[in-house]
Amino acid sequence: MTATPTLAPPAAAALRELLHRHHHDLPDTDPDRILALVESGRTARAGRAELTELAIAAAAGLTAEEPAYAKLAARLLAGRIADETAAQGIDSFSASVATAYAEGLLDPGFAGFVAAHADALDGLVDHAHDGAFEYFGLRTLHDRYLLRHPGSRAVLERPQHFWLRVATGLSDTVEEAGELYRALARLAYLPSSPTLFNAGARHQQLSSCFLVDSPRDELESIYERYTQVAKLSKFAGGIGISWSRVRSRGSLIRGTNGRSNGIVPWLRTLDASVAAVNQGGRRKGAACVYLDTWHADIEEFLELRDNTGDDARRTHNLNLANWVPDEFMRRVEADADWSLFDPKEVPELIDLWGAEFDAAYRAAEAAGRAVRTLPARTLYARMMRTLAQTGNGWMTFKDAANRTCNQVGNGGGVVHHSNLCTEILEVTSDDETAVCTLGSINLAAHLSADGVDFAALGATVRLAVGALDRAIDRNWFPTGQAATAHRRWRPLGLGVMGLADVFAALRLAFDSPEARALSTRIAEEIALAAYDASADLAAARGAHPAYPLTRAAGGVLHPDHWPDARPARPEAWAALRAKIARHGLRNSLLVAIAPTATIASIAGCAECVEPLVSNVFKRETLSGEFLQVNRYLVADLKRLGRWTPQTRDAIKQADGSVQGLDLPAELKALYRTAWELPQKALIDLAAARAPYVDQSQSLNLFQAAPTIGRLSSMYAYAWRAGLKTTYYLRSRPATRIAQTTVRKGTFLTPPVEQGPPVNNSVAPVAGDGDAVACSLENPEVCEACQ
Amino acid sequence: MTMLLDPGMDLTLRPMRYPDFYERFRAAIRNTWTVEEVDLASDVPDLAKLSPGERHLVHRLVAFFATGDSIVANNLVLNLYQHVNAPEARLYLSRQLYEEAVHVQFYLTLLDTYLPDHEERAKAFAAVEHIPSIRDKAEFCFRWIDSIGSLRRLDSRADRRAFLLNLICFAACVEGLFFYGAFAYVYWLRSRGLLSGLATGTNWVFRDESMHMEFAFTVVDTVRAEERDLFDSTMADQVRQMLDEAVAAELAFARDLCGDGLPGMNTADMRRYLEYVADARLARLGLPPAYGSANPFPFMELQDVQELTNFFERRVSAYQVAVEGTVALDEAF
Repeated sequence: MTATPTLAPPAAAALRELLHRHHHDLPDTDPDRILALVESGRTARAGRAELTELAIAAAAGLTAEEPAYAKLAARLLAGRIADETAAQGIDSFSASVATAYAEGLLDPGFAGFVAAHADALDGLVDHAHDGAFEYFGLRTLHDRYLLRHPGSRAVLERPQHFWLRVATGLSDTVEEAGELYRALARLAYLPSSPTLFNAGARHQQLSSCFLVDSPRDELESIYERYTQVAKLSKFAGGIGISWSRVRSRGSLIRGTNGRSNGIVPWLRTLDASVAAVNQGGRRKGAACVYLDTWHADIEEFLELRDNTGDDARRTHNLNLANWVPDEFMRRVEADADWSLFDPKEVPELIDLWGAEFDAAYRAAEAAGRAVRTLPARTLYARMMRTLAQTGNGWMTFKDAANRTCNQVGNGGGVVHHSNLCTEILEVTSDDETAVCTLGSINLAAHLSADGVDFAALGATVRLAVGALDRAIDRNWFPTGQAATAHRRWRPLGLGVMGLADVFAALRLAFDSPEARALSTRIAEEIALAAYDASADLAAARGAHPAYPLTRAAGGVLHPDHWPDARPARPEAWAALRAKIARHGLRNSLLVAIAPTATIASIAGCAECVEPLVSNVFKRETLSGEFLQVNRYLVADLKRLGRWTPQTRDAIKQADGSVQGLDLPAELKALYRTAWELPQKALIDLAAARAPYVDQSQSLNLFQAAPTIGRLSSMYAYAWRAGLKTTYYLRSRPATRIAQTTVRKGTFLTPPVEQGPPVNNSVAPVAGDGDAVACSLENPEVCEACQ
Repeated sequence: MTMLLDPGMDLTLRPMRYPDFYERFRAAIRNTWTVEEVDLASDVPDLAKLSPGERHLVHRLVAFFATGDSIVANNLVLNLYQHVNAPEARLYLSRQLYEEAVHVQFYLTLLDTYLPDHEERAKAFAAVEHIPSIRDKAEFCFRWIDSIGSLRRLDSRADRRAFLLNLICFAACVEGLFFYGAFAYVYWLRSRGLLSGLATGTNWVFRDESMHMEFAFTVVDTVRAEERDLFDSTMADQVRQMLDEAVAAELAFARDLCGDGLPGMNTADMRRYLEYVADARLARLGLPPAYGSANPFPFMELQDVQELTNFFERRVSAYQVAVEGTVALDEAF
C-alpha cells in the first residue's frame, strides 16, 4: 500500500478531516488505510463525489477484517445522502415531502397532512438515529427505498425523512407518527418492503402477500387469474396460487373432443407473465404455485424447475410447493399405495380437509376414479429429489393448516394453499383473494442487561399491531377480490427477526433447552400482546366483519389446538379470553414469521428465526454484494486475542465454520452454523413456538449434501411435529469457486456422504495451506501421507 | 506399472487407478447449470448507465470472453484428451469439454444480449484478430497449443516434459490467470451494483474453471509422483517465465481496458492482483512466490465466502443435480 497518502486538496483534505473525525469514536478504524485505498483507486480527475464513493467502498471492503468499518461506511454514505438532498434544497422532512409530492410521487392527502403539521413533524426528525445503521442496511435503503427524483434519480429524502414518511403514512395523528417513527428509527420494528416502498405514495399498496385461489377448470377463469396475478405483482406483492382445480393431462375436453395437455402449459404462461411484470422496476415479480398431492400432474409439476430436460416443460421463474394431506404422509409411513386423480372427475377433493377429505379420497379410490396409482414412497422420494435439486417443492401440510386456522371452522371456508414464503395461511375462494400485510420486530433491539425486555417487546407489539391494522384501512388494493377479503378478515402478519442475535448475546446454543424455552416464551408474549391489542381495537372500532365465522368467536384460540402447550402466563391468557369474549378481535389472524431477508439486512440483524448460515458470508442483493461478519464471534475472538488474519483466513477457508479452530468448546457450540446444527433442533424450536403463531413460519432447513433417506426422515419428522409449513431446503454446491484471497491447495468438497451433523466434526484447521487441503477437503487428493 | 502419461487409450475402469478423477467427474455433474438460468435482461438497463470508460471496458471484456473458452476447449481436444491415459481422467475431460461448451454458449448469449447491433457484434467476435491486447493473449495460447501439436505419443522424457508445460500453461496461465483477471473486472462491476446477470453467470463459470484448474494440477501432481525427477529446476524456470509472459500479456489487456483509470479499477492495482494470483499458482506447484504482491481488491474477498441469496432477487445457485438414496423415516438429520 502507498505509505503516505498524497491526495490533492481540497476534496481530499476534506475527506481526510472527515475520516479523522469519525476515527474519534470509531477507534478501530484507520483513516490512513482508507486514504491509501482511495489514493490507489482514484482517477486523476476525481472530485468529492468520486472520492467519497471510493472511501465508502474501501471501508465496506474492510468490514470482514474489522466490523467497525461497517459503521464508518454507513456514516460516509449518510453524509453523501445529506449532500445530495441538500443540493436540491431539501433541508427538512416537510421540504422532502413537498418536493416528492411536486414530482408526483406522493398521495395528495398524505402531502396535505404533512404540510398542515409541518413544524410538529419536522421537530420529530433526529438524524442522530442514522448511527443505528450498519453499512449494508443503509446501502440497501439508499439504493432501493429512498424516494428519487423521476428525472435525475437523485435521492429526495434522508434516512430519517424516510422513516418519518413511513410512520406518518401509517398514522392518523402526529402523536402516533412520532411513536412509530421512534420505533422505526431505532430499528426496533420494520414493516415489510411493500409498506416501506409505498407508504404515503400515490398507490398505497402496503401488503406483501396475496393468496389467489386456483382458477376454476375453465379457460376464462385461467386467463382471469393471469390478469389478477399481473396486477398484484405490479405493486410489489408476492403471489401464492393453487392450480389444483385445473384438469390433468389426458383429461377429455368436451367442447372439442380433444385431450387436455394438463397444467404444465398453463404454468408456462404464468411463468412468462410473472417474469414480464416486475414490481415497479424495484424487484422482480415472484409467485409460488401450489399443487395438491393427489393431482394427477404432480410428477410433471415436480420437474418444472429442473435444469435438465425439455425446456418447453420448465418454468424457471415460478416457485413450487406441495400441498400435502395427512393421508399421504400416513401412507408413506405405512409404505402403502397412493392414487392420483383428475380434478375434473373428482372436483370435491380440493375443498375438503381432515376426516372428510380422507373419506372422500378413499371413496374415490374405491369407486375406481383414480387416473393412476403408485407407491406413496415413490412419489415422496420424487418430492425429496426436487427439494434436493432445486430447493423448491416446499412441503406444506394441508390438514395441520386447516385444523388450526382461525378462519376455518364456522363456515368461514377452507385454506387451499399458502403464500410465496409459506408463512401465510388464510382461506381463499373464487372471489376472495387472501391478503396479508407484514411487519417484523427486531428482537435484537429488545435486549436489556437481564435478557429479553418483555415489557418493551409487548409495547412494540402493540405499536406494530396498531400500525398494521391502520394499514388495512388506507391500503390501496390492486384487485377487487383482494379488497373484499382483506376488509372482511383484516388479517395481520406480525413476525420477528434477530432471534440468532438474541441467542448469541445471551450465550444460548440453538439446540439448548434454554434457547427453546426462551424462543417459545418470546412467541407467547408476542401472541398475548398482539391478541390483546387486537381486542382493544375491536373494543374501540368493532370486531372484523367476518368475526362470527371464526373459531375465536366460538371461544377457541390458537394455542388451544396444542393441548400439550404449557403457556408461561395462563392468567394473562384467561384475562385475554374474557376480553375477546366481550369485544371480539379486530383481526382474524395476527402472527406470521416471514423470512425478512431484506428488512433484516436493513436492520442489521439475523433473518427471522434462523441461525446464521456462516460466520462470514456475503449477501448478494440488487445493490451489489456485501460482506457480513458475525459480530458476536468477532467480539469473542478479540477478547481472546484471536482475531488475526490467520483466524480470518481459517474461517473463510472452512466456509464460515469455526469448528476447526482451537477455541473453547462453549464458543464452538455457540457459533455452529445452520449447516452444523442438527436440523431436528430447528424443527423442534419451530414446533415449540407453533402454538403462538396463528399463521405459520417460513422455516428453511439445511442439508449440505442431501440424500433421499435423510430428507424423507426430516420432513416426516416435521409433519409429525405438527408444523403447518416448511420453506426452502438449502443445500450447498458440489464444487465451489476457488478462493482467490485465501491460500490453499484444493477445492473439492468431500465426495463421501456426510454423516448427520451431530457427528460432523470438522478436522482442525492448521496454519499451513497444503496440510489444510489435505485433511479438511478431500482425503483422496491428499499427498502428505503418501 | 502403467503410468498416467503412458501412450495409449486405456479402457479399463476396474480396478480404478485414479478414483479421485472419477469423484471429480461426479462432483462436476452435480453442479450442472444452464445458460437459460442466467437472467441477463437486468443487465441491459445497466449498460445504458455506464460511463464511456466503463463501456469501453465492458466491450473489450466480452470480446475476450467471446473466444477464451473455445481456445481452452481446442487445447483439451487436441492435446489433453489424447495423452492423459486413464479412462476415468478422460471422463472428467469429457465433462470439462461440455462445460467449456456451456461457457461458450453463455458468452454467445451474453454478446447477443449486450450488442444488439449486428455489425458491432460481429466485430466483437472477431476481436481475437484485430484487437491487439486480445490477439496477443490468443497468440500466447496458440503457441502453447502448437508446442505439442506434432506429438502423437509421449514416448520420451522430453515429450512428457513438453506435455506437462502445456498442461501447466492452460491451468496456471489461461484458466488460472487470464480468466481470473477477466473475472476480477466482472466482480469490480458488480461491487458497484452493475451487471449482476453477467456476475451470476460468471460465478458459475468461475466455479467450473476452479475445478478445471484443480483437475489439471492434480494431473501434474500425479505425473510428478509417478516420475519423480520430471519436474526439475529447469522446468520450474520455464514455468516462471511462462507466468511472467502471461502476466505481461494480461497487463497489456488491463492497460487497454482501464485506460488512465476508472474509479476503483486501474492498471497498477490490476498488476498487483495478477502478481498475487500468479504467486498462488506457483505455490500450488510447490514453487516459491515470484512477486510478493498482496491482493488489492477487497471485492475479490467477497468471492471467497458463501452466498446467502435473497431469493426475491436472484436465483440460488447452490443446488446439486444428482441426489441419491431411498425413502427412510428414521435417519438422523
